[in-house]
Amino acid sequence: MLNVRLFDVTTLLFGAASVNYVAALYGKRETLARIGTWICIVAAVVSTAALGVRWAESYRMGIGRIPVTNLYESLVFFAWSVNLFYLVVEWKYKSRTFGAFVIPIAFGTMLFAFTNESSIQPLVPALQSYWLHAHVITCFVGYAAFAVSAGVAIMYLMKAKREERKETGGVVALFPSTKVLDELVYKAIVWGFPFLTAGIITGAAWANYAWGTYWSWDPKETWSLIVWLVYAAFLHARVTRGWHGRRAAILSIVGFVATIFCYLGVNLVLSGLHSYGGA
Amino acid sequence: MADGKPTESSMDKVWKFFTSLKLAIFVIIILAVASIIGTIIEQNQPLEKYRQFYSDGTIRLFESLNLFDMYHSWWFLLLLVLLTVNLSCCTLDRLPRTVKVVRNPKTTLDENLEKSLAHVGRWKKKGGMEGLADTYKTAMGSAFARPRVTENSGTLHLYAEKGVVSRFGVYVTHLSIIIIFIGAIIGNVFGFKGFANIVEGQSVRTIPTRGGTNQVDLGFAVRCNKFRVDFYPTGQPKEYSSDLSVIEGGREVLRKRIEVNDPLQYKGIWFYQSSYGSAGAASATVAVNSPEGGRMETFSLAPGRKVDVPGYGKVSGIDYQTDFQGLGPALLVVLEKPGQPPAEFWLLQAYPNFDRQRGDTRYLSFAGVDQIFYTGLQVARDPGVNIVWVGCTLMVIGIMIAFFMSHQRLWVRLSRGGDGRVEVVLAGSTHRNRLAFEKKFEKIQADMRAVEA
Repeated sequence: MLNVRLFDVTTLLFGAASVNYVAALYGKRETLARIGTWICIVAAVVSTAALGVRWAESYRMGIGRIPVTNLYESLVFFAWSVNLFYLVVEWKYKSRTFGAFVIPIAFGTMLFAFTNESSIQPLVPALQSYWLHAHVITCFVGYAAFAVSAGVAIMYLMKAKREERKETGGVVALFPSTKVLDELVYKAIVWGFPFLTAGIITGAAWANYAWGTYWSWDPKETWSLIVWLVYAAFLHARVTRGWHGRRAAILSIVGFVATIFCYLGVNLVLSGLHSYGGA
Repeated sequence: MADGKPTESSMDKVWKFFTSLKLAIFVIIILAVASIIGTIIEQNQPLEKYRQFYSDGTIRLFESLNLFDMYHSWWFLLLLVLLTVNLSCCTLDRLPRTVKVVRNPKTTLDENLEKSLAHVGRWKKKGGMEGLADTYKTAMGSAFARPRVTENSGTLHLYAEKGVVSRFGVYVTHLSIIIIFIGAIIGNVFGFKGFANIVEGQSVRTIPTRGGTNQVDLGFAVRCNKFRVDFYPTGQPKEYSSDLSVIEGGREVLRKRIEVNDPLQYKGIWFYQSSYGSAGAASATVAVNSPEGGRMETFSLAPGRKVDVPGYGKVSGIDYQTDFQGLGPALLVVLEKPGQPPAEFWLLQAYPNFDRQRGDTRYLSFAGVDQIFYTGLQVARDPGVNIVWVGCTLMVIGIMIAFFMSHQRLWVRLSRGGDGRVEVVLAGSTHRNRLAFEKKFEKIQADMRAVEA
């Protein structure tokens, strides 16, 4: 299928971009990072085209539906979201160093997708709903924002540690200031949180319309609530207790680990209504 | 009231406890940890299933802690109550202060305030104070918000603010959680959830709820006229739907074909397509025709039953194949005529005249197999659900207001300096998004410095 080949190309592009970003950091070559950015832009175009082609191909197979309905599709959609969110951040904050910490997340996701069944499967009746679109898109924008936040949080921890030891130079010298990094860790969560909230709410609305229950403590629902609680705790600690820097960065990473578990762990480890997402 | 004071201080302590952020964070963390446990220990499973994983001692321990139905246990509900009380107390504690800040803004910039602000700029200008104030007033109005002017013993103060509403985002968000809980409680107390299996052609008036221990009278009947299921070529169900009628007072008042993700609603009660199954064995429809091709009668042939065709013989069906030698669905029938040995022959659904070849006084044709289904319906009434949606909408709005807007304030103080020039102080503050405000402040400062009175 053409779409799968395009996604394979996307995987290679993310790999190349990751190498460029990391090499730019260690080799101190801005040119490499600039190439990385261009590769990411190309990857954005190719993966967007691939999603469109997959959508069209599903229609040609007589099962037309948005390409976000099984594990393979959700993984490529996640990588697509992370890449776009990253490009916005890079452009807004005028620093390409983030790429070395965020684009490998997209690359790893695509590699994982590569090992999964990639054919277009028909939809079970429960998934045939317009709520699917709103639910998946809001959730994944949220996930992508949390991924960016966690990537930047790692950068913050690296830079803060260096500064604590009063060491200069090294890769962290190229990073934006700790103040900017800290702010971005927070900002990305501020963007992700309302999307996650909307994702949980659209999921509840959909469940109510399909089954007559908006909340049934299904493991996926419960884990989304756990993720929500972690980021709610982050925002409260930040706004009312002034949690900045190290503690905030660690909490952001904890939140992203919970997000990953909610997204993948629940399907792979636990059982429940969303188990078809892992098939 | 000699002991008035200690009581008050212990009341203060209780109040402090319920309004503390520590309690909120503590409850949030405990809720998160408990929720994790609830996803690891599968909830509401039969005891036999638990026996496969846990020892009897562990099961007793878990049961005493309600860990098998954790989300409905008294202690989990207590945590939710604690969170609600905490939220309410925090609101009662902080809202009046916020209202005060908003209603009585500090419109003059005194020294103390100036020292406490993070963004301050100072410069001097030649010219008259009033004229300069007017110029700055216009500049602030176009770049930020229209300022108020206060005169205070020879000093002129300009004050402007934006995004006051963002101070209330947090209260909207917290209120939304309480509203959602209220909706959930109303749904649990005044609503019901049940399940009904209705065989095609039959109807129900009552719905068993709470695992069959209770019966809810609908006040009307629901009939399943017809059930239909379509499959993908892979054999996976593509969609299934039920043609339902609502019958009230002996009349059909509503009819709808429902499918998964498209329920029927009548008088606040919702019927959701949930499952289906076969209700008994299938029966075949067979037609009797005259040799000229005229249809004489049709009858339904159930397995193991003989049907007497008057003036011809007895017919029974003994086999059915979905694809007989590549010719499609076919039915194997036995014909018994008085005084003759039974005859066995196939009828093909795709070729209705196939049986003519026997050259008999009648020929039979096979019109297809009828499977009787039952439809599985989830039935629910939830009078609190709309309150929950109001809460959810408010929550998203509240979060957006709280985090994407900020209460920004600007002060300008104009006073006559010792050298005869006007001393200008510009100060600003924001309660959120400092980096963005900093840029805005720098720009406004640069613009104001540049204008000529």
